[in-house]
Amino acid sequence: MIPTLVAISVITFVIIQLPPGDYLSTYIAELQSQGENVDIEKIEALRAQYGLDRPMIEQYGLWVLGMLQGDFGFSFEYQLPVSEVVGDRLFLTLVLNFATIIFIWIIAFPIGIYSATHQYSLGDYGLTFIGFIGLATPNFLLALVLLYLANVWFGTSIGGLMDPEYIGQPWSTNKIISVIEHLWVPVVVIGTSGTAGMIRRLRANMLDELQKQYFVTAKAKGLHPLRALLKYPLRASLNPFIADIGNMLPQIVSGSAIVSMVLSLPTTGPMLISALQSQDMYLAGSFLIFLALLTVVGMFLSDIALAYLDPRIRLGGSAEK
Amino acid sequence: MKYRNTFLMFAPVFLMFFSIAGNAFAYSEAPSLAKKVAAGKLPPVDERLPINPRKLNFKNLGLKIGKYGGSIRMLMARAKDARQMSVYGYSRLVGYHPKTFELEADILESFEVKEGRKFTFELRRGHKWSDGQPLTSEDFRYWWEDVANNKELSPVGPPKIMTINDELPIFEVINRYKFRYTWKRPNPDFLPRLASASPLYIYRPAHYMRQFHEKYTDQDVLKKAVKKYKQRNWAALHNKMDNLYRNDNVDLPVLQPWVSISKPSASRLIFKRNPFFHRVDPEGKQLPYTDSFIFTIANNKLIPAKTGTGEVDLQARYLRFDDYTFLKKGEERSPYSTRLWKTAKGAHLALFPNLNVNNPILRKLIRDVRFRRALSLSVHRHEINQVIYYGLAIGGNNSVLPESPLYRPTYRNKWANFDLQKANQLLDEIGLVQRDSSGIRLMPDGSPLHLIIETAGESTEQTDVLELVRDSWLKIGIKIFSKPSQRNVFRNRIFSGETAMSIWSGIENGLITANSSPAEFVPTSQQSLQWPKWGQYYETNGKAGERPTEEHIIHLLELYQRWKNTAAQKEKSEIWEKILKIHSDQIYSIGLVAAVLQPVVVSRRLKNVPLSAIYNWSPGAHFGIYKPDTFWFAAAGEERK
Amino acid sequence: MTTKHFVNKAPFDPNATEKLTPEQERYYMATQWQLMWWKLKRHRLAMISGAVLALMYFSVIISEFLAPYALTTRNTDFIYAPPQTINFFHDGEFQGPFVYGLKYQLNMTNLKREYQEDKQSIQKIRFFCKSDPYKFWGHVASSTHLFCPSATGTLFLLGTDRLGRDVLSRIIYGTRISLTVGLLGIIFSFIIGITIGGLAGYFGGWVDNLSQRAIEIIRSFPELPLWMALSASLPVTWSPILIYFGITIILGMLDWTGLARAVRSKLLSLREEDFALAAQLMGAKPQRIIVRHLLPSFTSHLIASATLSIPSMILGETALSFLGLGLRPPITSWGVLLTEAQNMNAVELYPWIMTPVIPVIIVVLAFNFFGDGLRDAADPYR
Repeated sequence: MIPTLVAISVITFVIIQLPPGDYLSTYIAELQSQGENVDIEKIEALRAQYGLDRPMIEQYGLWVLGMLQGDFGFSFEYQLPVSEVVGDRLFLTLVLNFATIIFIWIIAFPIGIYSATHQYSLGDYGLTFIGFIGLATPNFLLALVLLYLANVWFGTSIGGLMDPEYIGQPWSTNKIISVIEHLWVPVVVIGTSGTAGMIRRLRANMLDELQKQYFVTAKAKGLHPLRALLKYPLRASLNPFIADIGNMLPQIVSGSAIVSMVLSLPTTGPMLISALQSQDMYLAGSFLIFLALLTVVGMFLSDIALAYLDPRIRLGGSAEK
Repeated sequence: MKYRNTFLMFAPVFLMFFSIAGNAFAYSEAPSLAKKVAAGKLPPVDERLPINPRKLNFKNLGLKIGKYGGSIRMLMARAKDARQMSVYGYSRLVGYHPKTFELEADILESFEVKEGRKFTFELRRGHKWSDGQPLTSEDFRYWWEDVANNKELSPVGPPKIMTINDELPIFEVINRYKFRYTWKRPNPDFLPRLASASPLYIYRPAHYMRQFHEKYTDQDVLKKAVKKYKQRNWAALHNKMDNLYRNDNVDLPVLQPWVSISKPSASRLIFKRNPFFHRVDPEGKQLPYTDSFIFTIANNKLIPAKTGTGEVDLQARYLRFDDYTFLKKGEERSPYSTRLWKTAKGAHLALFPNLNVNNPILRKLIRDVRFRRALSLSVHRHEINQVIYYGLAIGGNNSVLPESPLYRPTYRNKWANFDLQKANQLLDEIGLVQRDSSGIRLMPDGSPLHLIIETAGESTEQTDVLELVRDSWLKIGIKIFSKPSQRNVFRNRIFSGETAMSIWSGIENGLITANSSPAEFVPTSQQSLQWPKWGQYYETNGKAGERPTEEHIIHLLELYQRWKNTAAQKEKSEIWEKILKIHSDQIYSIGLVAAVLQPVVVSRRLKNVPLSAIYNWSPGAHFGIYKPDTFWFAAAGEERK
Repeated sequence: MTTKHFVNKAPFDPNATEKLTPEQERYYMATQWQLMWWKLKRHRLAMISGAVLALMYFSVIISEFLAPYALTTRNTDFIYAPPQTINFFHDGEFQGPFVYGLKYQLNMTNLKREYQEDKQSIQKIRFFCKSDPYKFWGHVASSTHLFCPSATGTLFLLGTDRLGRDVLSRIIYGTRISLTVGLLGIIFSFIIGITIGGLAGYFGGWVDNLSQRAIEIIRSFPELPLWMALSASLPVTWSPILIYFGITIILGMLDWTGLARAVRSKLLSLREEDFALAAQLMGAKPQRIIVRHLLPSFTSHLIASATLSIPSMILGETALSFLGLGLRPPITSWGVLLTEAQNMNAVELYPWIMTPVIPVIIVVLAFNFFGDGLRDAADPYR
């Protein structure tokens, strides 16, 4: 895992440096075009101060060293250390992604089972169709439409994860209710894209299992079909649920970034995007590392969980030569 | 006359009585502050206000006496927008009057200008910073000597505007409240810069900043502070902490009506009233009326939607003209009204042919005035106005607006009518007679006349306008391609001469008076998109850029120099007329439309916000000159439309 | 007890049992592809999707002919006009397909453009008519359209946008860009995926390890920032066409990992097969073995995989346009159209601007179902 993280950090750094110019040149152009007064020389003097005139390798080295010591660098845009800027956002990102995964499980589970057991029926086609619609609609548009509908039907305030009064306030029941009221839109939008894939995989796995000898035997021997279903094939098909956390994570993280931007959620997504656009190096880099870390750790955990849950993996070694 | 003697006898008594009464004029304060005074946490209002606070003349300004209380909610798109509070608060040494645009003393009690070069300023005695410490000449001296002229804090010296002919002024402190700046030649931009939306701050809270300055603080203490704030050295620390404009340091004392109490990275920036603010209303109530101002940060694309659902009390930034219909619809569900204010740019959008473009053939063509005139004659401004602005804007050149005292119809209308025949004729005259198979004219080297118009890629409005322009220019045999880019790349390409033509907004302030600086009409800065290299030449005193050789450009520069050196109003007016005439002849930029309307959403309960006004950055500070500290909330149920 | 049995009196041909009936013969002699095709035919949904896709790709060739208006036509008198419904009967009389004229009025209080149907004006739709001139693929001039508005009338089946351009025509033109972006991106990711997966699967050892690590890294990276950074580094001086290719390459560059893994795992098992061993013993070079012998065994899987990846490319293009990084006006693609629809004005006041989402959904669904069908058909174990 460590070499992966190192490689990720290098790639992250390169990515941020790719666009031409750096934070200061973007900043200058912005000030100038807004008609604000710019003392170019004064800003250029900042360049040495921020260390932006040092060679790339040196900047990278300093950054990594700092991170290992817990210092995630300095945000030029906010003029604060990165750790202070990030604040609540990491937590809320985790909440959002976690809620989305749970949503996907809740939806995919029953639909997958139903589809597998009632293959080629109207219900099968119908439900998978709905799942696919969610996959096929571009997230940003769906988010906007749901946002509007939530406001018209339920009076939910537009955007954000809670009503404006609760921002920055300590947690209370009302605040939690407000968060839930707002949370469902991004969760549904991001979740629907992941549900379709999950349903399909579960269905395929279940179908495989349903044809196997042991299941047919169990039914022939008189075991109630539902009980037989739940006890045997389902366990074997749970594989994708766990394995796919690893697969789903990058997609969820990415999808949630766009959706967060559209819905103006206080998660890492919007801040990351604006940091990338203004080339706020350390802030963007730290976010990217965090997100990549989230994914890698998630995949790692899902591998472990899979090994734990599925004895075939533990005992049989890999299926391929 | 029996009473004459009695009167004379008692006159001194009366006078004394009235003067005492005058000095003991009853000031009142917000209830929230009164509580604090009662608890002993704040001094009483008489001691918090300067001895002679600024009494706003509501009658003259057309305002109503208000009530205390409430919170103005507004939406912003980025954390950086915290600085807009300094813009809206508009507490300045001198400020513009909202109707006449004349300069009046605000923080200063009075100011005196002699020969345009000697500026004497007097502060209000007893005026205090937001933390209760007095504002004195020391704060100005600190900035001038210990900040602007300190080699480490300002490695390139004081801001350019303090330099006239490479000479710095002489700064003298006359007494605790009076000080003076003296230059050898007039400095006409000094006061306007002090009154601008993003002003020049010639003062700092010395009592607070000293702890970050090496001259006044022990080295070890300073080193600890540098480490604590993770800065590279004390100069970086000082520069980080002293920014009065940005509102990113909660501990920094300010002179604004509302003071920031939120961390800059919060998604809700709260500004609470400043108990030491120096303005009062005609009844002696200390301003501001409202207790706080709240900026909630949201994605800028959602701001019109959020505004439409009633989440704000006051909003103009990030609202565009084409949001108007949507906002009007929202009035059915939420208690606000949508007003339309006029913008004051010389042109909302204009095309800028780059007179310094590198390509020699294009350069020759662009420098030929007949070419520019032909381009201007073939823009169908009426259509653009109808299609995009519902006919509510005005077409015309990128020049002075009709409301300005210097306006003459020819400035806006010369070469701005829609005349394809004349345009074709002019192009034929230049020699661009040959055309290719699709009707596009051929340039002297045989290649088709294709113009690439670069945009900063940020607004669909610009793309739409270019679509309209493209169609009408096809009729004179010119094909355009629009190329969206990114802001800094866009600007850099213009500066380096790679761009042939760009689209951007026009003259920042179209309400020109004789005293306005003609800098935007003359090549003085690299930032003018039509002559970046000539402007750079001027800016760097000849070290970079290109020296202008065209006669009319040299003439413009001469006129500018004369304007700067004279203090006589009449002469300034005449110089302006000459400059405006040259522009209307030479068509340096192709103005499209101006006076585009800006939607301003105001809660029904919020009063003293003008029904119709001018929405401009400088002068104007958007809401600033209309003094948001006088806005107040009527009680629910008392609102009338 | 004897059971009755019957003996055929006809002469006995010992070779008879060897003969196959015509159907059996066809079945056993069929190539892999024919088998796949027959299986695919039975999957109803996949066939329908395939037909839809074929139609859409065909329309790409004749976009100019299909669209009632040319790409740049704008009608400043009909800005934000709502969709016009096709009617057949007027006052009980059959008139052929027609639309009613539009009357326009600007509401000055809320600056809203209001349109009403003018029942007096009947505008018959013409077929195979001459209307807006265009240049077929930019070169061949023509002006024939499949159907167009009446000579003086309008035909806005999906309404118009803010410059008065017909939405339906723009969607038809946008098909060309959006559908081909996906294809080119897939080809690109195909090439990379097969190469890397092939090398990893065949050689094993450190080649395999290295590529595994690389795949892992790329997969764990959220796509969004990679897209953003790569798009931001495309030089602005490039022409729209170059940017278009650049975008397809970027989309392809991040998509190959799934394919590479599939190729790798298949090759790992297949390389132990006898036929591969035989080829090796006969002296074939690894490249030949991989390309000529191993790959064809599961090309069907590859095709199915590829088909299932195209939708993510198409959606990726829309996401990039939304972020302002991908294609931008004046290029017309579905992503660009959707970005222009991405505001509350469109949702609340002019919902027809959002109709480009329908072809996106249809195409993505079609590719998914068709790909599913292909995969089922290619799988020998069902």
